[in-house]
Amino acid sequence: MSPLRSFVARRLLLGVAQTMAVVLLVFALTEALPGDAAVALAGDQPDPARIAAIREAMDLDRPAYERLADWATGLLHGDFGTSLASGRPVTQYIADGFGPTLILAALTLALLVPLGFGLGVLAARHEGRLIDRLVSSVTLAVYAVPEFALGVLLVTVLALKLAWLPPTAVGYGTDLLGHPAALVLPVLVLLSRPVCSLSRLVRAGMVDALASPYAAHARRYGVPGARVRYTHALPNALAPAAQQLARTVDWLLCGVIVVEALFVIPGLGTVLLNAVAERDVPVVQGLAVVFGVLTVVLNLGADLVAHRLTPRAGVAA
Amino acid sequence: MSRATDAAVAEVSDLRVEIDGRAIVDGVNLRVLPGKVTALVGASGSGKTTTGLALLGEYPAGARVTGEIRRTGDGPVGYVPQHPAAVLNPARRVGALLHDIARPQVRHLPRAERRGAARELVLRALADAQLPDGEAPLRRHPHQLSGGQQQRVVLAQALLLGARVIVADEPTTGQDALTKSRIVEQLAAVAARGIAVVLLSHDLDVVRVLADEVLVMRAGRVVESGPVERVWAAPRHEWTRRLLDEQRAAPQGTQSAEAGQPVLTVSDLTAVHDRRTAVLRVPRLALHPGECLAVVGRSGSGKTTLARCLAGLHRDHDGEILLDGTPLPRSLRHRDRAQLAAVQYVFQDARAAFDEHRPVLHQVARTAIRLRGIGERAATDEASTTLNRLGLAADLTHRRPGELSGGELQRAALARALLARPRVLICDEVTSGLDTVTRRGILDVLAGLVGEGDDLSLVLITHDLDTARLAHRIAVLDAGELVEQGSAQRILTKPRHPFTISLMETTERLETGTVAGARM
Repeated sequence: MSPLRSFVARRLLLGVAQTMAVVLLVFALTEALPGDAAVALAGDQPDPARIAAIREAMDLDRPAYERLADWATGLLHGDFGTSLASGRPVTQYIADGFGPTLILAALTLALLVPLGFGLGVLAARHEGRLIDRLVSSVTLAVYAVPEFALGVLLVTVLALKLAWLPPTAVGYGTDLLGHPAALVLPVLVLLSRPVCSLSRLVRAGMVDALASPYAAHARRYGVPGARVRYTHALPNALAPAAQQLARTVDWLLCGVIVVEALFVIPGLGTVLLNAVAERDVPVVQGLAVVFGVLTVVLNLGADLVAHRLTPRAGVAA
Repeated sequence: MSRATDAAVAEVSDLRVEIDGRAIVDGVNLRVLPGKVTALVGASGSGKTTTGLALLGEYPAGARVTGEIRRTGDGPVGYVPQHPAAVLNPARRVGALLHDIARPQVRHLPRAERRGAARELVLRALADAQLPDGEAPLRRHPHQLSGGQQQRVVLAQALLLGARVIVADEPTTGQDALTKSRIVEQLAAVAARGIAVVLLSHDLDVVRVLADEVLVMRAGRVVESGPVERVWAAPRHEWTRRLLDEQRAAPQGTQSAEAGQPVLTVSDLTAVHDRRTAVLRVPRLALHPGECLAVVGRSGSGKTTLARCLAGLHRDHDGEILLDGTPLPRSLRHRDRAQLAAVQYVFQDARAAFDEHRPVLHQVARTAIRLRGIGERAATDEASTTLNRLGLAADLTHRRPGELSGGELQRAALARALLARPRVLICDEVTSGLDTVTRRGILDVLAGLVGEGDDLSLVLITHDLDTARLAHRIAVLDAGELVEQGSAQRILTKPRHPFTISLMETTERLETGTVAGARM
């Protein structure tokens, strides 16, 4: 088997193991919560007889391993169970919330990649000069501002004082694409910190790569500057940036609770927040599994990209 | 046959390069003739590389440059650095830069034909650099090529560029005799194409075989120059004479300490890489107290793997290694302090073996604190004595590794290993990469260690038969097999195995200067 294929196979196996670990952990953690779904559902009048009745109806009196087996088999068939609060299937909740989250993530990513890499390369090209210092200090300053603070600031200035943009997405439901103006502020807030971390990573990698003997060698032999920068130096600066990008996409897809809550966007983060408030355990479990699997898959992808960009690392490992 | 009237393709006159007010090259004049090999020789730090890079129009950062560099040929200058891997992009396939170099040369063609024509040019350049089957290496990443292939790829880049002058910086350093002779043939072939070769080297055998003109440098100045025959036959400057004299090591006395119990025995050792590829087979090897054993072989012959097995750095083997009759655990992790102290390892790259942020003296003393459990003060005193004994002045030892030269650091690395009071000291190519004078110094230190009579045994891993002369016994490895072992005198005078014989012959040919194609 070629080294690359065996690397991919090993990583895939590890990914499967990680996913199983996530499922087990989610189940174990919900088991460990004080009280159970029956107590939660019984609401403000915790009548012991009623709790017992609910327990029986929901099979909560069966041993934990049987319930785990049932739940895990259901997951394999795409059956995440039903919500305690509404009786709707959990998959319905996830599907509803995924649309807005995906729109936000895709838009953010489409702007993040060119901006982050562009700023990083720009700063590295002018290392130590005015442009570099400007880019570096602004990115550091913006990175230091938390999302909620930046969000509140932007809403206050752009939406409430200047009234250029709607302050929230209230009333638009999941049809966000029909109201692009409502997306501007959330995407800006989502972009702010990832752009900074990504561009700083790219800058650091590019500074090293541009100062390397192989870049000097390419310039010495008359390869044009832009080509040296983008085709010879940049691939060496990409590996850490790719890992960071995977973490960012993961963060975006797993429901950015603060931003969704601030702008009232009905994405996965909002679904999670409501489920927790209602003690709707199956929904929380389902979301946790989805988030866990997304994290495993995205990191797998990032590892493959990094492996391609730093072929030597595979030899050393 | 005066060639002075030939048009020089590059000419350096009165070059002076100054950093922080200190001249690293001063008053250098150099004429580079087409089809000739001009060699700059001298110890490391003598200004060879700075002069060579000046031909490319490159200077160290912050340098003040006076003097003139004239290039009459309009072709660019090619460069083959000492470590070719450094100029090959680790993240791209080898073909990427080659295609970028070929691109401007096919610009006049219609767009559809450019790709094919560029490929054609690249393959021809690879063939000219003696990589005839160029397709396969083009698709590889640099780390998947051997050192020799990397060097030829870098040479192919210069040829593809159409360079009229090629500067080759220490092309044979750290190579075994057979590889060296191939590099010599390769550079001779380049010169035969009418390209001027500027050879920067401290490898005097190679210079003698290859060069037409030689310039001897010392401390940034050219102390002597002339045709290579004249300089070798009748050196005028005292420094040249010293450089030439110190090339050859004095053969070790033959008082081999065969008697008594061996300090280290290896039996039935088969070492593997990646759990299956066998890379080394040693049926039996013994090391006696006070003995110096040289393990000789080409690169890739398994000699470093053998050393790493002994030191517990390579655990994938099934042999038995006995220290004073008791088995040593395979992995370093399972050896106790006394066992760790007993077998010490000195690496080829001394600079990489030191922490650059702490003074050398502290790092050397640390061994005694860690492995022998003595107090910090006593350890520092002992470290300082040992360092002085190995020829490092007290003020040097308080500096950080970055402020010491390669030879000085190698002495410090030896001192660090000695502070463990080892029974066996493994030296892995400790002198390759050093110039002749520095190498001589280190070899003298090693000879002194063996001669001191405290029963320290030495394992010298080397590709260099000159270094092996120092040993009492020599073991020869080829392609992972122990092909021959015996007393140094016997191996060096009456080798039996065909591989040993060919290694000896190549070394002699290099010394006497009769490599095919190098002399016209």
